[in-house]
Amino acid sequence: MSAVAEIYESARGPTDPAVPAVPVVPAVPFADPRGDPFLRTRFALPARPATFLRRQRLVDHLDQARETPLTLVNGAAGAGKTLLTADWAAGQRQPVAWLTVEVGDRRPGVFWAYVLQALHAWGAPASEAVEPPSDATGVDQRLLATLAAELNDRDQPVILVLDEYDRLTTTEVTEQLEFVLHHAGRGLHLVLVTRTEPLLPLHRYRAAGELTEVRAAELAFTSEEAVALLELHGLSLPLHAAGALVDRTRGWAAGLRLSALAARESADPELYLKEFEADRTTVADFLLAEVLKGQPEETQDLLLRVSVLERFCPELANALTLRTDAEVVLARLHRANAFVEHLGHSWYQLHPLFGEILRAHLRERLPGLEPELHRRAAHWLRRCEFLPETLAHGAAASDWDFAAGALVDDLAIGQLFTGLRSGDLTELFSPMGPEARSPAADLVRAAGDLSRYDLDRGLARLRSAEEHLADDAPEPAAAKLSLALLEALAARLAGCPELAERAAEKADELRQELPAHLLDRHPELNALLLTHLGSARLWAGHFEDARAALTAAAGSPGGASTALPREDSLEHLALLDYLNGWPGRAERRVLATVPEAERAGLPRPSGSGIGQLVLAAVAVDRHELGRAQALLDETAQPPPGTRDPVMAAGRALATARLLLVRGKARAAVEAADPAVAAAVVSPWAAGYEALFASAAHLAEGRPDEAAEVLQGVTGDQPVCAVEAAAIQVAAGRASAAIGLLDSIRTAGRPGPAVTVRAALVRAQAAQCAGDTDTARKLVTQALLDARQERLRRPFLDAGAWIRPLLATPALHELAAGWLTPGLPRHGGQSGPESPSPPPLVEVELSGRERDVLERLARMMSTEEVAADLYVSVNTVKTHLKSVYRKLAVNRRGDAVRRARDLHLL
Amino acid sequence: MRYEIRVEGHLSETLAKAFPELGHVVMSGQTVLFGPVVDEAHLYGLLARCQSLGLHVLEMRQLPE
Repeated sequence: MSAVAEIYESARGPTDPAVPAVPVVPAVPFADPRGDPFLRTRFALPARPATFLRRQRLVDHLDQARETPLTLVNGAAGAGKTLLTADWAAGQRQPVAWLTVEVGDRRPGVFWAYVLQALHAWGAPASEAVEPPSDATGVDQRLLATLAAELNDRDQPVILVLDEYDRLTTTEVTEQLEFVLHHAGRGLHLVLVTRTEPLLPLHRYRAAGELTEVRAAELAFTSEEAVALLELHGLSLPLHAAGALVDRTRGWAAGLRLSALAARESADPELYLKEFEADRTTVADFLLAEVLKGQPEETQDLLLRVSVLERFCPELANALTLRTDAEVVLARLHRANAFVEHLGHSWYQLHPLFGEILRAHLRERLPGLEPELHRRAAHWLRRCEFLPETLAHGAAASDWDFAAGALVDDLAIGQLFTGLRSGDLTELFSPMGPEARSPAADLVRAAGDLSRYDLDRGLARLRSAEEHLADDAPEPAAAKLSLALLEALAARLAGCPELAERAAEKADELRQELPAHLLDRHPELNALLLTHLGSARLWAGHFEDARAALTAAAGSPGGASTALPREDSLEHLALLDYLNGWPGRAERRVLATVPEAERAGLPRPSGSGIGQLVLAAVAVDRHELGRAQALLDETAQPPPGTRDPVMAAGRALATARLLLVRGKARAAVEAADPAVAAAVVSPWAAGYEALFASAAHLAEGRPDEAAEVLQGVTGDQPVCAVEAAAIQVAAGRASAAIGLLDSIRTAGRPGPAVTVRAALVRAQAAQCAGDTDTARKLVTQALLDARQERLRRPFLDAGAWIRPLLATPALHELAAGWLTPGLPRHGGQSGPESPSPPPLVEVELSGRERDVLERLARMMSTEEVAADLYVSVNTVKTHLKSVYRKLAVNRRGDAVRRARDLHLL
Repeated sequence: MRYEIRVEGHLSETLAKAFPELGHVVMSGQTVLFGPVVDEAHLYGLLARCQSLGLHVLEMRQLPE
């Protein structure tokens, strides 16, 4: 039986024969974002102790939860909310998914991953269309919409219980929850068990009769119930005495339970309870002190010590007490229903109320022991490979060397950069002070510095870590591999391919020394390293080597942990395509990353933003200037101090290109400077800078200077070289231009951005030489290459000589529709952006694009389309962009009109 | 800002240690916790702490500086 099913069974327990047979669910941790072994206890239905009193009036009231979308079980700590709801849930025939909320769930990505997992564990899984999020800080609206739609479609509604919902203090998750609840219709019944009122618009649910509320007053025990409860504890009390007790405790379940336990220990229980009534100490305080006092010394000691733990098993408790009796003690406490709750699989937790009070007692009775207890817990947890808990206790003990060591030895350092936990981990290590001196601590610090682009400090720490690693550490392979990863990142930021290559070589060797299961557990490490290596190679112009590394990174095993590097590497690959003269291919690559990123819940635009910049540059090549501007505007300015050479150069390239086309040559020259310090000169970045400077000289009437600055441009950078050749020929240096063209070398077939311009340069040279025939043939070739990709810019840049050629009937036919207006054939020359007649290539819209277009035709706004299709606004925009491109329009009105003309609507 | 929080019952010295940042005084069946409160988050944190200790809050008010 699977672990989850086991939990399911043990949680339901043998007490209720009416419960249907346990469905065996496969233990595929499909959405287990943290691989957390404690996870299953969060889906377990809390077991009811033998002394649990079922109160029918409450069960009957709760049954209304099956009718209303929202149910609230609201009461103070120890009011009996959880046990009531668990008991009720165990009796339901329809699926009930149980999730105990934790503080970490305030990050939406984590919360929804657990909700999906809870549905899965309780036999009501969402389909694969609902992709679990991979980024902790956010989820895509699409995930929520798909989940809601799917719940809405179900024949059998799901009851989702969120216990301890008060731990979620942010509005974000609550708003998302409300969205899902609203759109799931009758398919979801949400039960919130909470100490505080959730931030939902309860009045609205109440007014609509859609809310079931079980509140503190109703949870309070009546005198009759108190009598029954005490009887379960082996005490018989007359009704009037029970009434006094109920008055004293305000019918508080935990208070009654404690008083029963305390009274049982005393010689005359009834007298004891009378005394308690007269006492004026706070109820919990009094009772707990009493009950604790009644326990043997060892038990008291154990309870105080485990109060620092969220959950514990006997071995872990022993590690804190340095004794061996925990198993016996815990079993006895559990049987007596005192202090501890059983979670199954011999894991326990303290009742939350007692935990808090016990910690207060611990601080008084064993002052100063707390950090030591955390430290012992951390060491035990590390031996058992519970990494997140190890780190939490290591941090609580301020034992930073240990915590950093655990992170590094587990090869988890990449999780500081990517995956669901990166934010939590960064926060966890943020209080680390200078007293931590281990190499691992230096590595963690370096990771922080480098993610803030503080290269100098990061490098200094890496050097310090390297020196110390040489001295000690019995098994330094994991630390050395972590070091290699950080060095690769530093190399990327420094624009230093040599350092990156060295780091990658080291990493290859070190990987041999590490166990395979450790490497398999952390695919993000290799994905990050390869992306950084590829980025550094791309910067240095080693295109084919860069492609190899980036392709490998993009092909890393899927999942949340590698989503970020995979997207980053795909965007780099798109830039590579662009630089090789394949704008269409580059665009398709970027657009393909969009759904992936959205499924993963990554914010858009995410990653490095290189993808957006590539799209902008492609748009300029197509002379879709409005779109290019919009894309550039969308790419947020990087925060000051950001230094990623490839990204900076990509931004400089796209911005300068647009400015130049708009006739702002000077501004283009300024924008073309990427303004990052790098170890080596990037041939393509430098080439483009020269190109823009040259274009500015030419525009301002200095052809000689224009030619001069192009000296450094060589045929190794194909796109750059053809553009340089175009400037040369425009400056009247046809032979230099042809020479440059002849020097162009590409690894494979040159892309259309290269061939089109090259053909035009040769055509212009031929035309100048009076060879119109050759010129026409070359322009024909250029048109054929360009029209598929709609590369308009090369023809618009070519100058006046091309106009008469394009006006000839044969060429006009080829240019009509996308470059020049087709009909009327003898009409005036209008701009290439004006609405154009049927395109030469057949327009095919995808199903989704058609959906979007149809809604546009109905005058819906982008937001409305998004809501209607259950997709995000960004997705709609992406579809729109591709519709615009396919229809060669820039406005929605034009798109609709054109689609109608083409009978696409 | 300074606050006082009045809770029902006599708070033991042990339990008062759960509020190390506050002073306390016991009077006529109630305990008054008082002291500086850093910000709203702290204030709500104190309330939550009261709740998790099973304390019944009778009154809470800001004190004049």
